[in-house]
Formats: sequence, structure tokens, C-alpha cells
Amino acid sequence: MNIDFERISELITKGQIEQLQEQTNQAIETGTEPAILLNKGLLPGMDKVGQLWRNGDMFMPEVLRSAKAMSKAMDILRPHLSKDDMGSAGKMVLGTVAGDLHDIGKDLAGMMFEGAGYEVLNIGIDQPNEAFVNAAIEHKPDVLGMSALLTTTMPRMGEVINSLKESGIRDEMAVIIGGAPVTKEFADEIGADLYAPNAGSAVELTKQYFAQNNS
Amino acid sequence: MKINQQINKSTQFKVLSEDQIEQIFFASLEVLEQTGGQIFHEEALTLFKNSNAVVNGNTVRIPPFMVEEALNFYPRKITLRGRDKKNLLSLQKDTVAFGTGSDLPFTYDRETGERRRTRYQDVKNAGKLVDALSHYDFLMSHGIVGDAPNPQTYDRHQFMAMVENNTKPMVVTSVDGEGLEDLWKMGCLIQGGEEEFRLNPLFVAYIEPISPLKNDRTAVEKLLFAAEKKIPAMYTPCPSSGATAPATMAGMLVQSLAETLLASVLCHLKNPGMPLIMGGVTTLLDMKMSTYSYGAPELSLASAANTDISKWLNLIMFSTGGCSDSKILDEQAAAEQMTSLFYSYLSGANLIHDVGYIDHGTNASLESLVLNQEMMGLVKQFGKGINTDDDHLALELIEKQGPGGEYVTTDHTFNHWKEWYLPDLQDRSDYETWVANGSKTMGDRVKERTQDLLDNYQPKQMTQELKQELKKICDDADKRHA
Ligand code: B12
Repeated sequence: MNIDFERISELITKGQIEQLQEQTNQAIETGTEPAILLNKGLLPGMDKVGQLWRNGDMFMPEVLRSAKAMSKAMDILRPHLSKDDMGSAGKMVLGTVAGDLHDIGKDLAGMMFEGAGYEVLNIGIDQPNEAFVNAAIEHKPDVLGMSALLTTTMPRMGEVINSLKESGIRDEMAVIIGGAPVTKEFADEIGADLYAPNAGSAVELTKQYFAQNNS
Repeated sequence: MKINQQINKSTQFKVLSEDQIEQIFFASLEVLEQTGGQIFHEEALTLFKNSNAVVNGNTVRIPPFMVEEALNFYPRKITLRGRDKKNLLSLQKDTVAFGTGSDLPFTYDRETGERRRTRYQDVKNAGKLVDALSHYDFLMSHGIVGDAPNPQTYDRHQFMAMVENNTKPMVVTSVDGEGLEDLWKMGCLIQGGEEEFRLNPLFVAYIEPISPLKNDRTAVEKLLFAAEKKIPAMYTPCPSSGATAPATMAGMLVQSLAETLLASVLCHLKNPGMPLIMGGVTTLLDMKMSTYSYGAPELSLASAANTDISKWLNLIMFSTGGCSDSKILDEQAAAEQMTSLFYSYLSGANLIHDVGYIDHGTNASLESLVLNQEMMGLVKQFGKGINTDDDHLALELIEKQGPGGEYVTTDHTFNHWKEWYLPDLQDRSDYETWVANGSKTMGDRVKERTQDLLDNYQPKQMTQELKQELKKICDDADKRHA
């Protein structure tokens, strides 16, 4: 069967979840190479979404619908993909630090990463430092994301980074942080790899980071 | 004699009809009955278990009669008293008070023009300005004391920074129950004892649920402590429509009311008659920038509707206005702040906070506080409405001056022009005068006034003994948390 990749991309941009799931299943059943489906169908769809979003032609509810479609399709595809096939779309552990109960921003960031094909493990709010470290040890993520919305809880992010160092796994992942009182300077100070001022830019910055660091 | 007269002593403004309020109220009761709320606090769960509520794990569902019973007990009037005894503030239906917001992480440094973290001195300065500016009736910290010795005790230091330079009533934020207890002890010292504080509290405690329908341990801990000591407290939902509440204003109002009503039952179970205040920062998540908007017109609309509901429930209302998403104090800031000042004032909410906020609740600006002073003046004037008694109808005068007459020199004008708003920083001069005075923009005048007040205004100070006693509470807290 001939797979119409453009149609797949369009199902993503339009956020048509069920139809996309159907098409993805069909494509796999009829022997389409999963990596090709990902690279020619799904990812270009999400790239388009990113573009529209940055130009202000697409809004949060629409973007998240697309991200959900992408994530559902990835659930189907993932078992058929090798690590290499996945390219930059890896695994992410994400949470809000101890003492902090804000979660909307973190969740939006998580959804954007899912939209980029990431498998996102959202460990929730008010997570003690060990929870981040343990999740990192257990799940070996490519990206560790932390959120803090309070001046009083920001220091936890630096502590987690130190614990990652002590556990000898700091260099195995990129650490990205965000939240209203967080700044680029603060991220540099505590030795995070990335700071994203908003969920929209987070994925793009991460992609750029990996592109630079893998070359 | 005239019959069937209805005279509006002030401007009238209402968003919801009584039938609509009832729709929202009954819907909220249904939410509490069918969906319920989650509570992460042992004592609170026990209180509910020993009542007619249904508790499953952390989820509490509440029958409507418990809500109706609780609602009968809340005060319709609370009189706050500032550190200076003259600064009394009666919270009661349709009496409006304006005040700042709290805890802004950043500040524009007025010398370097750069954004930096907020410090103790910034909070002191905000306290000074709010003390000086007549349209502010209460103080919230404006900024957060980012240079406090320990994040776990910053609230005590922040309160200290507030009371140092300010003699008005306050609304305070706290880290947890223990923090609130320390603030209350400090408040009692200032008011002259626990009983005096109970009669005329210095402050209202600011507490929030987590929308949708979640109540975390620290928030409930504060609420129960406030109930125990009869400290006025607001439990103010901060939903973002479309993210943590339905994208419809009505749905958001239903959900936040359910959150408030849950708290009303909980406080009633703990200590009937505690002074609970209804609240709400009801706004939306901007779908382009994914920010929590302080400048959206929907904030004003939903807040005014919420105030309509509060009056119907006989609850004192804590609302929001004078705030903006603009990154700096510019035209956008003025437009947005004015919009929400206007509607919050007309709605008749009792404590309107966040006046002066810019950058959607993340940036502090002392100049913004000064600009809003003028804008509050304009708004209040509009609220006064039109007096139509015989003297104001001025029939006799019109007859007397006749066609082609003048009014400038009449006694009537001499007596009445002072009812108008007298501009302070607002410029109404002619072009040449404006140029002669240096062609200053509103921004220039605001800057000058800010500097002038910071340099020259002298707030009434506390005695050294009182200061020492307050400081001891801060120090003890720091030691406990070292
Ligand atoms: C809504 C809100 C709440 C809600 C949170 C509900 C929830 N489910 O999250 C409630 C009411 C519970 C709450 C509670 C409190 N809050 Co609050 N809250 C806010 C508010 C108004 C909006 C936050 C928000 O949702 N923004 C919208 C989201 C989408 O934006 P965002 O979170 O910034 O996330 C974006 C980026 O930052 C970034 N991002 C965020 N995290 C991450 C993570 C990663 C990995 C990446 C890549 C990106 C990223 O991407 C996101 C999308 O673009 C902010 C003010 C503000 N404008 O930030 C105050 C604010 C953060 N809160 C504040 C305070 C003080 C509190 C309380 C301490 C109040 C109190 N005394 O009780 C409590 C603390 C409770 C606790 N222990 O955490 C202060 C913080 C002050 C400070 N300097 O520390 C603020 C700044 C408001 C203020 N000026 O008072 N709050």
C-alpha cells in the first residue's frame, strides 16, 4: 500500500487523533518502515505545527491537540523503533521541585515534548530531590526537566544537579529548567544545560542543543 | 410629594442577574456533592469524616445542606485596623478598598533600569508609598523579600519590611501554618494583644486552593490555624480558564465557587463564625503566549461576576484590579490597569488587590503604584454617580442666569465645583504651558513623584521596643529553621 505521508502530516497539524492512530496502525501492518513513517510523516507534521505556532497562526489548544495526536501515534510506533531511529526524540523525566505545587507550566512543557515525539515521564509536583535522581537512574532519560515557580524553591534545582553529579550520571542527560522566577543567569549559575522561558521554545532549544553537542 | 421614586446614590453596575447567580450557586453545590474536592490534610479529613460529608481517600463530597448551614455563620462586616489606629477599614457590602498585590519576584531597579530580584528594601519602599498615597487602603507586600536569610522564614521578614514603613491594614502571605502563626503573633504585638487583634485585626491572611478542586497540606494548615484563632482569611481560587478551569467564564465561576464553598464548610467544622472572606483571581491562560493573564478583560468580567455572587451569599469579597501583563509601565499597562480598576470598583468588591502589578504578576514597579493612585481617583469619581436633588438640578439657577448667562461667578459654582475630581498628576494644561513646564509625559511626572515621596514622606515609626519584640520572632524562626 502506498502511504500518503502528506496526509499523515496533515492529520497531525489538524489534530485528528483517531484518524491518525488508524493510519499509523495501517501503515505498520502494511509494512511501512517505522523510521520512514516517523521522519516523513509525523515529524514534518509537528515541524509545521511548530512553525505555525511561532508565527502566531496556531494557538495553545490547537497545538496541544496536535501534540496529543503525535504522542498517541508515537505510542503505536515506539515499540517498532530502534534508539537510532528515534533521533533526538528520546525520553524525558519532568517534575516540579520539592515545596512547589505549580504545575500548569511544567505540564504544558511536557506536552510540547510529547508533541516532538518524546516519551515523557511526568513525576508530578512537590517532588523531593531524590525523586528526580531516582527517576533519572531508573529511566535513563535524554532530558531531565525541572520546574520551579517560587523564589524559595528554585535552589532545589541546583541541589538536584549536584546529586546527579554525585551519582555519576550528570553527563548522561541534558538538564532543562523553567518557571516564572527562573532566569538564564540562574540556569548558568547552577550548571543546568538549558533554560526555556516558555514551553514553546523549550523543544526548539533542546533540539539545537543536541544538534550542537552531537556534532 | 413624589411616589415610586428610585434614586441612585451611586453608579450602578452588575454583571449577573439573581437568576444567573442562583444557577451558578446550585451548580457549585452539585460539584461539591457529585465531584467533591481533594484534601491533603489529616485533621481536615477527620473533620469531614466526623460530619455528614462523604470521604473516600482524599476526596470529600459534601451535601448542600452543610454548605447552606455554614454560610449562615460568616461575618458580613469586619473592621481591620492598621498600626496607626486612625486607619480603620470596614469590610462590608459595597464598600470598596484598594491595595497592592504581593510577592513579585522581580523589580525594575530605578537606578540602573534593569530587572533584578526584589529585596527587603523594595518592600519597605512599597510600604512607604502605600502609606503616603491616599487611594490605597491596604498593603500587600508588592515584592518578595528575596534577600531574606532563609526561604523557609522569609514571610516573617517580609511582614517586618511591610510594617516598618506602613500604618495601614494589610493582607499577608505566609509560607505555612507555622509562618502564619508567627505573623499572627507579630500582629497581636502590634495591635496590643490577642483580643484586640480579634476585634480589629491588623491583617487578613491570604490562602489559596489549587484549582481545580484540590487543597494542599500547607494551604489547609493555614486555613485551620486562621479558623482556630479567628484570623480573617481568604481562600482565593486562582484558576486559569482553559487550563485549570473550564474555558467558559460560567464554568470557571462554578468551579471556583465550589472551591470557596468547600473551604466555608471546612472552616465551619473547625470553628463556626471564623471570619472567612471569599476571593478569586479569575482569569485565563493566554492561548498564544501561555501566560496567566492579569490584563485580560475576562479577568475584569469574571471578577465582577464573582463579586455579584459574593454579595448574594453575604460574604465579604477579595477581588483583583489595577494589574497588567505589560513588561514595563507603558501605555498597555495603563490601559489594562485602568480597565480592571474600573470594573472591580464598580462591582463593589471589598478588598481589591494586585493594584500596580505589571508583567503578569512577576514584576514590581514602585512607579506603577504611583500611577495607579491617579487612576483610582478617576475611577472613584465615576462611581459617585449623579445627585439629582433640587440643589443639584439647579432649576432656580438656570432660570436666574437665563439664556446667554454665565455660571463662573455664581455661588452655586463656588459651592459645587469641589465635588469634581481634582487631577493630581494628570495634565490638562494648554500646549504652551505644558512646554513651559518641561514637556513632561505622565511617565516623567510619575517618576518625579515617586522619587519625591521616597525622599520626603515620613511614615509614622514603631517604637524601638515593639520593633525589638517583632525582630525576636523573626530571629527565633530563623534559629528554628537554621
Ligand atoms: C496560578 C498560580 C498559582 C496556583 C498554581 C496552580 C497550579 N495548578 O499550578 C496556586 C494558586 C496554587 C499558587 C500557589 C502559590 N503561589 Co502562585 N502563582 C500562580 C501564577 C498566578 C500563575 C502561574 C501559571 O500558571 N502561569 C502560567 C504557566 C503556563 O506559566 P509558567 O508556570 O510560568 O510556565 C511557563 C514557563 O515558565 C515555562 N516553564 C515552566 N516550568 C517549566 C519547566 C520546564 C522543564 C520547561 C522547559 C519550561 C517550563 O514554560 C511554561 C509555559 O510557557 C503565578 C504568577 C505568574 N505569572 O507566574 C503565581 C506565583 C508563581 N505564585 C506565587 C506565590 C507567592 C504563591 C504562593 C506561595 C502563595 C501563597 N503565599 O500561598 C503559593 C505557593 C504554593 C506552593 N507551595 O507552590 C508568586 C511567586 C513569588 C516568588 N517570588 O516566589 C507568583 C509569582 C505570584 C505572585 N507575585 O505572588 N499559585
